[in-house]
Amino acid sequence: MSLFEASWVIARRDFIAQVFSRSFILFLVAPMLLIGFSLFVGSAAGNAERNLNQPVVALVTDSGTAEALEAARIRLVGGTSEQSFPRFRTVAPAENVSVQAKALLADQNENYSAVLSGTLDRPVLTGPERIDDYTGKRVRLIVEEARRTAALEGARAAVRGEPVVRDVTANAAGNLQMLRRSMAQAGQGLIFTVTIMLATLLLSTLVEEKSNKVIEVLAAAVPLDAVFLGKLIAMLGISLVGLGLWVGILSVGYTFFQMLQDWMALPKVSPAVGWPVWIVLLLLYYTANFMLLGALFLGIGGQASNIREIQTISMPVTLLQLMVLLLAMTTVGQEGSALVWTAYLLPFSSPMAMVAYGAQYEALWPHLLALAWQALWVVLIIRLSARLFRTTVLKSTSGGAFFGFPRPRRKRADAA
Amino acid sequence: MRAGLALEAHGLVKSFDGNPAVRGIDLAVPEGAIYGILGPNGAGKTTTLRMLLGIIEPDSGHRSLLGHERPLEAAKIVGYLPEERGLYPAMSTREAIAFMGALRGLPLDTGRKRAEILLRENGLGDYVDKPIKSLSKGMAQTIQLFGTIVHKPKLVVLDEPFSGLDAINQGRLEHLIRDEAAAGTTVIFSTHVIHHAERLCERIAIIAGGRIRFEGPVSEARDRLRPQVRLRTRNADGPWRRALPGDAVEVDGHWQFELPKNGIEPMLKALIDGGAGIDELSIERRGLHDAFVAIAGESAAQAMEADLQADLGEAA
Repeated sequence: MSLFEASWVIARRDFIAQVFSRSFILFLVAPMLLIGFSLFVGSAAGNAERNLNQPVVALVTDSGTAEALEAARIRLVGGTSEQSFPRFRTVAPAENVSVQAKALLADQNENYSAVLSGTLDRPVLTGPERIDDYTGKRVRLIVEEARRTAALEGARAAVRGEPVVRDVTANAAGNLQMLRRSMAQAGQGLIFTVTIMLATLLLSTLVEEKSNKVIEVLAAAVPLDAVFLGKLIAMLGISLVGLGLWVGILSVGYTFFQMLQDWMALPKVSPAVGWPVWIVLLLLYYTANFMLLGALFLGIGGQASNIREIQTISMPVTLLQLMVLLLAMTTVGQEGSALVWTAYLLPFSSPMAMVAYGAQYEALWPHLLALAWQALWVVLIIRLSARLFRTTVLKSTSGGAFFGFPRPRRKRADAA
Repeated sequence: MRAGLALEAHGLVKSFDGNPAVRGIDLAVPEGAIYGILGPNGAGKTTTLRMLLGIIEPDSGHRSLLGHERPLEAAKIVGYLPEERGLYPAMSTREAIAFMGALRGLPLDTGRKRAEILLRENGLGDYVDKPIKSLSKGMAQTIQLFGTIVHKPKLVVLDEPFSGLDAINQGRLEHLIRDEAAAGTTVIFSTHVIHHAERLCERIAIIAGGRIRFEGPVSEARDRLRPQVRLRTRNADGPWRRALPGDAVEVDGHWQFELPKNGIEPMLKALIDGGAGIDELSIERRGLHDAFVAIAGESAAQAMEADLQADLGEAA
């Protein structure tokens, strides 16, 4: 039986056992729930936090000044965003505005960052020194806008000129590069997320065989390389099933919410190698990333003897993945530096770095080189892991030859 | 490898963390034989079998399995039941057997069909779709044994196959081993239970302290000791006592001693002439247990007895 036939037997068993187990439903549902919950909480908390973090300035002025300032703020916010300027809250002026301003700043219920009093000609901004950088500058902008408007109205003049004419083009270099960088990061994020989800599964997969003693049966029947490779293939299949399902559900969701048009508009900005090739590359690099990190985790996990050890190993493994992601992210928007080359060449960061490369650059031949390089490392790591397993876990003196070249048969004097 | 041998090993040595487990094992197992490797726990039986099957590499020495120096090359025609039984608990019995066959190159469909036949022939037809986790320990061991032979191997290696089995399952296993041998399969099994080896094996290797103490036919091991004579006389004393050999001991009213080298007849005449009044005289060929004690030593025999007691406790 060849190595691949043996791997297939192992992979088929692992795949069926995992996919038809109850825990697989949890595996499929958990990320969807997590993403949904994160989006919901993130959105709600984000809005609340933005409102909380937006400074509020008390307007202690006559009603005309307050109206002019509010109108100026609305105009500025219209060109930028609501969060770009402090909010105003109008307060009727007391007899002694200076005392009133200090009282307002001390009010714990209202939480004013500053108090703007006086008139447009002689405005007074009361508040601590630290507001100058953000609130102070923006309040001055609003005041200047209000003054300019008031001056134009006083002169009965208006700003002349036609509105900006839009000439729509397919692309703009700066915009295109920015979008491609976003695609590169999205591709890296996708590969990273799915791989990290399977890290613990990969780490613990050999513990099952060790705890139920099946490993002895496997080791006597097939090469350990086949056991490792089979397990990796099974986990890859499982992850692709998950990925397919998640993408399917997301697509259905998109259609359901009539956002398909937005999606259809996206391909106008395509990755440098084009959508079809990039999607194929994404799948290939996902496979390569999974096999590389998977082989490493399987090798590390094979050394553990129980789930507690796996849990201990999980944290450094997650950190390792994060480091690899950070390294791969250096390739987005940069070129030629030693760090970028390290990301391309280091086997563990290479797949994610090359996904980014595909999004940003048109050349295809580097992908062939990269995939061959990554495949070579998958083989090396599997062989190394299998030999380590044989020597440390099965207590064999030798893990066997690293490369299995055929050995000449021993000739014995007493051979028949 | 010599013709007619299913397995051959020379000078196998293995240490774990500097502690020698096997100190130079030579074995030659004829094709079609039922071959027992006999010794107490810790003697080196499992390590020897694992080296023979290529699960671990020896520190030195070499072995040949069905003509292959790399044991995995013969994997398709070898079946192995490890000492520590291992099955996937969620698998059905049929799938477990078929999977073990598939590991040895048997197509899954064929494996499933053969699994059903094996289960039905052995009265386990009702368990075809039952998951392993729902079976008793003995039954799960039987399933693994079926998985070991489902691909019809030429050589079956069983490590302590009787361990933990009750009497019924032990009987079933003995029957199965005989059937396999009758079909031309070579069966090697290790055991610390002497009577299994005595009942089943044509040849044995007695192993203790990591060394082979005896290797050959069972009859040859037993013949290493002279037959035992048991004598009961009507007269407690008299001139006949001079006819008894020096090693004669009295146990429960019987005299016991080894059969004299010149046979029983001269002694018998002296006993009659000396007025012994013979009530009972028997000559018994020595059992494998006695041979084992003589070959491996009393301490090894005591260790085997302790292992057996532990086994009985486990099976109960």
